Amino acid sequence: MTKVLLIEDDGETAEEITAELAERGFEVEWSANGREGLDKARNLRPDAMIVDRLLPGMDGLSVIETLRKEQVRTPVLVLSALGAVDDRVRGLRMGGDDYLTKPFAVVELIARIEALLRRPVESRETLLRVGQLELDLIERSARRGDRVIDLLPREFRLLEYMMRRSDQLLTRAMLLEEVWNYKFVPATNLVDVHMGRLRHKVDGPDETPMIQNVRGAGFILRAAS
Amino acid sequence: MAVDFMQRHPNTMGQWQFIRSNSFRWALAVAGVLAVFMIALFGFIYVKIDNYLIERTDRMLGRQIAFMATLPMERQLNAIEDHLRQDSRGVQFAGVFGSDGRRLAGNMERLPAGLKIDAPAQSVTAARVDQPDHNHSVRAIAKRMPNGNVLAIARNVDETKEISHVVGEALAFGLLPAFIICLLAGAWLSVRAQRQVEEVNQRVQRIIAGDLRERLPYRDGSEPFSKLAVIVNGMLDEMETMINALAGVGNDIAHDLRTPLTRARLALERGRTHATSLEQLQTVADKAIAGIDQSLTIITALLRLAEIENSRRSAGFGIVRLHEMLREVCDIYEPIAENKNIALTVHAEHELNVRGDRDLLIEAVTNLVDNAIKFTPEGGKVDIELLRNGNETVIRIVDTGSGITAEERDAVLRRFYRSDKMRNTPGVGLGLNLVAAIVKLHGFRLTIHPGAGCRVEIACPDPEA
Repeated sequence: MTKVLLIEDDGETAEEITAELAERGFEVEWSANGREGLDKARNLRPDAMIVDRLLPGMDGLSVIETLRKEQVRTPVLVLSALGAVDDRVRGLRMGGDDYLTKPFAVVELIARIEALLRRPVESRETLLRVGQLELDLIERSARRGDRVIDLLPREFRLLEYMMRRSDQLLTRAMLLEEVWNYKFVPATNLVDVHMGRLRHKVDGPDETPMIQNVRGAGFILRAAS
Repeated sequence: MAVDFMQRHPNTMGQWQFIRSNSFRWALAVAGVLAVFMIALFGFIYVKIDNYLIERTDRMLGRQIAFMATLPMERQLNAIEDHLRQDSRGVQFAGVFGSDGRRLAGNMERLPAGLKIDAPAQSVTAARVDQPDHNHSVRAIAKRMPNGNVLAIARNVDETKEISHVVGEALAFGLLPAFIICLLAGAWLSVRAQRQVEEVNQRVQRIIAGDLRERLPYRDGSEPFSKLAVIVNGMLDEMETMINALAGVGNDIAHDLRTPLTRARLALERGRTHATSLEQLQTVADKAIAGIDQSLTIITALLRLAEIENSRRSAGFGIVRLHEMLREVCDIYEPIAENKNIALTVHAEHELNVRGDRDLLIEAVTNLVDNAIKFTPEGGKVDIELLRNGNETVIRIVDTGSGITAEERDAVLRRFYRSDKMRNTPGVGLGLNLVAAIVKLHGFRLTIHPGAGCRVEIACPDPEA
């Protein structure tokens, strides 16, 4: 069972997160203060951690920094009420792997934790394959079965990102950050428009859709059964 | 501290404070310096006059003795008699003494002790024949005649003492009033300064109490105190504007947050009472979440705005390749423009770079392009241009929308301003504020041209060489 350590001082928030994670089959260990959390991180060896930035006892970033100095590589998702871009950059520099600003949607949190747990290994593969869908990174070509898909560079980039994370829920914020490198949320629903275009090309009229829209959450690329 | 003191002792302009006051001390110091200076001046005048009189006396004595020495014995005695007779004031001394020191003629009792013969005039004391016991201070000169007699002439210099007396009197008469006038002037200045400070204090107290329209008093701009008051008033003007603007923003925020929150609340309340199935409850929850999300978006945008406005980080600046950046923005927005059947094009003939924060500049341009697409009707055109204008690099975004009027132009830079035609377009009305803040942070210039077809420019002046 996947073990997640949650270090969060607000009991109610922690309760919600714990319940949600437990429902999805995670084993959650909760700690309400930084020092205790650090001890648990050392002893329990969790698979992933969710760390709030402002904690009693010891600041969340210090906890992460200490662990990183001890060569603990557990993926960490930093939670913070400080939404500023600079704080985010600091959080990531201190050894956090991802950063989520409070308040957040629970699906966003789950999606990011799962993404951290299933981080794609930096593969040297030049051909990505999900079901019948193939992406040649050298020729920069895509095909679904026998059908050649003509992609624009920006569509190629998006599809590559999704294929490396197939069967994972990818939220709009994750796509904005990772694919377009946006550090802010634009006014227009950029992601949906781009995704609509890509889906139009990937899923032909009489094919089983591979790109699925999860309402209110994001998108998943799945092999068509 | 000073204000605090005044506050606790509002009406203690007592003697102690008066004497302690800075301007009074200054006046005292000035009066002291004036006195020392006047005494030195009078001393100088005294010494100069004294020297002059002695010199004049000496010259006269020299001439007389030279003249008398040339006369034969008898004529010499007569000349002495004449000389003394003409001296109505009785200041002249003269005498001829034999080689044994016996007086032969003149009114000098004896040859003055210590008088060097055949030497220049000297200061000695001499006595008259009629008052042998009274010694007068004199300048005297003596000459030995060929026959062995000694001829001596002297002149009383007691009058220099009189002069010093006169000088001293003049000093007393001149110095004392000057000193008093000085002190009075100091006292007046001191009281005046105290009054000014007191008045300023009262007004400041009113400002602290919340009357933001109060200003400091001033007479004319040339006086230092008035100058200071004018400067402080300028600062108060600026602060008043800012505080009023802030209050306005506060109201706007409250209004804009309240609207979606009210919707969320209503939805929840209605759902709680009327929902009969899980589906209905979920619809209600979705509505509520949407309302809350909109409130959060506003808060996020405000925080972001504050972050940019307060940021002083030019340290993170680097070279931004604008032509590439604009192509990137265009690439991202192309599908959105296409969906609306709008032609989005980049016109960048030159490769132009500026110093700045790439992420922030992308955010600014994205906002402008986003706006342009939003307010351009279907079938229209949005152009992103990169050009040189004089010594500026200009990013220009032109659309074929309805544009904005000159009156609206200033308003759109205000927080939360959304013209009536925007009311139904999603957004929080902070986009242009963000752009303005980013542009300001970079030291660039944002221009919005009124008229049909909105034309927005970010002008980046070349750094001074």
